[in-house]
Order: sequence, then structure tokens, then C-alpha cells
Amino acid sequence: MALVDRYLHAVKFWLPRNQKDDIIAELSEDLRSQLEEKESELGRKLTDDEVEPILKRCGSPMAVAGRHMPQRSLIGPTLFPIYRVIIRSLILYFLLLLLLLWLGIAIFSPDFRADHPGAALFASLEPWWLACTYSLFFNTPVFGLLDRSQARSHLVNNWNPRALPAERDPNHISRGGTIFELTFIVATMAILVQIDACHRVFHFFGVTATLAPHWPYFIWALIALNGLSIPLACLNLSQPRWTRLSASFRLGLDVYGSGLVYLLCRASLLQSLSGNDVPHTEAARLVNSINCWTASSAIWVVVIGAIVLVFDVRRLLRVAPVSSSTAG
Amino acid sequence: MSPSTETQSDDRFENLRQELRRGSLPLAVLAALRTEHYGYTLRKTLADHGMAIDEGTLYPLLRRLETQGLLVSQWREEERRNKRFYRLSPDGRLILKQLLIEWKSIHTSLEDIF
Repeated sequence: MALVDRYLHAVKFWLPRNQKDDIIAELSEDLRSQLEEKESELGRKLTDDEVEPILKRCGSPMAVAGRHMPQRSLIGPTLFPIYRVIIRSLILYFLLLLLLLWLGIAIFSPDFRADHPGAALFASLEPWWLACTYSLFFNTPVFGLLDRSQARSHLVNNWNPRALPAERDPNHISRGGTIFELTFIVATMAILVQIDACHRVFHFFGVTATLAPHWPYFIWALIALNGLSIPLACLNLSQPRWTRLSASFRLGLDVYGSGLVYLLCRASLLQSLSGNDVPHTEAARLVNSINCWTASSAIWVVVIGAIVLVFDVRRLLRVAPVSSSTAG
Repeated sequence: MSPSTETQSDDRFENLRQELRRGSLPLAVLAALRTEHYGYTLRKTLADHGMAIDEGTLYPLLRRLETQGLLVSQWREEERRNKRFYRLSPDGRLILKQLLIEWKSIHTSLEDIF
């Protein structure tokens, strides 16, 4: 019986103080009845090896004790979905914020880049972990309290179907947005056409800026981008829903546009600067700084371009589902 | 059907079966306690009628039903051991009657659906 006593002692440990003796007395009586019945069947005392499976079938001490207590949760099923959305949003928000901050510092501070090469960059994720831990640490008890107060006030039950937000159609294209886009394209096109593609020297505020010889190629490439964007905008205006054609067209344009802007940043477009009040060495240093700055900004183009492309691909997959999912 | 799919299917059936039986347990316990029983004999009675229930489920359920005033219990010595005997309270009898009507109605509805 030593095993049974040990088992009962272990169960007792987890029980609420005011019910310990009562529950243990009852459980003890049940177990001993089982053992006695088995012993009378066999006509001898049970060995520990025979007692063990009986206790195991009864359940682990903690589980048995747990069943005698009311089910409790810090945040109940009513508020848990909100809690989950908030925690997930905060984690993503902190990650995005940190990523932007990190990119900004990495781009503008050569010292930071030198101090954080390769794998050491992961160490800079520490603030993110801390922010996530703090948001869990502060939000969990707040939601626990809210859960208890809403259970009393039935706050969540006071709702009106008419106040619910309207269902959003992810394939709908806003006409206002398309008109704005078209206006922007036309205005940019007008400016690009005004610029003489062969003209590489510009004067402003007493300073003469000379652009690199490959500048005209970019002008034509930008004009082509705008020219190609016009039919898409017109298509979206006449048919304000994403289709396989328009989504593919948008993806193609964004790939082309992102690539073009990336090349523009990396092209060291500014060849020279000159002016009456600008010393030659100072101008050369300024040209170098501007070109370096635009080149280092290319990483932003990659990041933003990648985000845009992810959205484009998702849109395309949404409007053109794979044949296996549509079949049948 | 692959062995893993078969196991998954068995698990799903077992979960649903337990869920179904768990819902019927209070009714079975109340019905069985029209006659006085202590825990172990109650378990045996239920098992003999095809409603096997383990200690970890029965005793918390008995406690809950007693707290709700549907059962009354009494510690008494029998065969030189202290045992807690349970039986239906007057409220328990009333509730049992109502539950049986409800159970029959569910049974009829299900028969209609099948």
C-alpha cells in the first residue's frame, strides 16, 4: 500500500486546502476498494508491479487534483481573439520599426556598419525581443482584468449588427485612387517630356549640375514606365476590379519600376557641380557624397520594392487561383 | 487508407465519442443515484450498464452535483471503512425527470434526422 499512500500524498499536495481531506478520503476509499477486489480475485496481496497500472490508469496526481478544481483561464475565449490580434500586431509593429531604424542607421552611419558586420547584426534584434516581452508582460494582466470585468458587465454582448464594418472586397479598385494615379502619371509624363533627354547640364541657384552620359537612357526608361502605366490606369478606371490581366500587368510594371529606380540610385548620375562660389575640391566632394548617398539609398528601394512585389504576387494568386483549387 | 490516416481517424472518433458520452454522464449519474451508492459501487453500477467512468471524472462530477443541490451525501462506516454515500435530493429528482424528457426529445430528434 506504500505506493497508494505515496500517490494519495502527491494528489493531496495539489488540492485546495479546504477540500484536501475530503477528496483524499474518498479517492483513497475508491482505490482501496479496487485493490481489495483484485486481491480477492487473486487470493493474495498485490505486488507494487500490479498496483502501478491501477494508479497509472487513475491519472497523474496533478491531473487528478486539477479535475477537482474549477476550470480557470487568465483570458477567456471571448477576449482571447482580441488579445491575439493585439499581441501579433505589436510584435510585427516593433519588428518593422526596428528594421526601419536599423536600416536607417546602417545606411547613414558607416561606423555602425563597421561595428556590426554579418552575424553581429542579429544581436541588434535584442530590443525587439525586449519589446515583445514587455508587451506580453503588460498586456496579459490587463486582458486578464478586462476578461473578469467583461464577464461581470457582459460588455461584449452589447453589440449591434448594423455597427459592424462592411465586408471589404480585396479585388475592388477604388476609382478615386485610380484617378489620383492617372493624374500623377500624366503630370510626371509632362515633366519628363519637358526635359530634353539629350540635355545633361542643368542650372539652378547659380550652380551648374552636369549629369552622367547615361542619363538620357533613364529619361527614356522613365517615360516608357509612365507610358505603360497609362493603359493600366485606364483599364482599372473602366473595370474597377483586379483581374488576372490587370494584376499581371501591375506586377510587371512594379518589377520594371523597382528595377529602374534601383539602377537610378546606383548609377552615380551626378557627374559634376560647378558654381562661382563653390571651390572645385568642395564641389567634387559634394558630388561624391550625393552619389554615395543615392547609392546607399538603393537598399530602401530593394526593401520597399520587395514589399510591393509581395503584395502584387498575393493579388495575382488571389485573382488567378491555381487550377487544382478551382477544379471540381 | 494509410496507417497514419487510420490512427488520425481513430483519434477523431475517440475524441467525439468521449465528448458525446461526457455530455450524458450527469444524466447517468443522477439516474443511478435514485438508489444510494458510494463512489466505488456507483462506478461499478455505471460500468455494468456500459457507462464506464474513471475516478478522476466521477468524483469531481459528484462534488459538482452536490454543490448544485442535486445530490446529498453522508459519510458512514461500512465494512470497517468510512465511505461517502450519495443519493438524489428532492431537487435532483425533479431535475432528473426534466433531463430524461429532454434526453428523449434529443433522441427522437436525432432519429428523425438519421
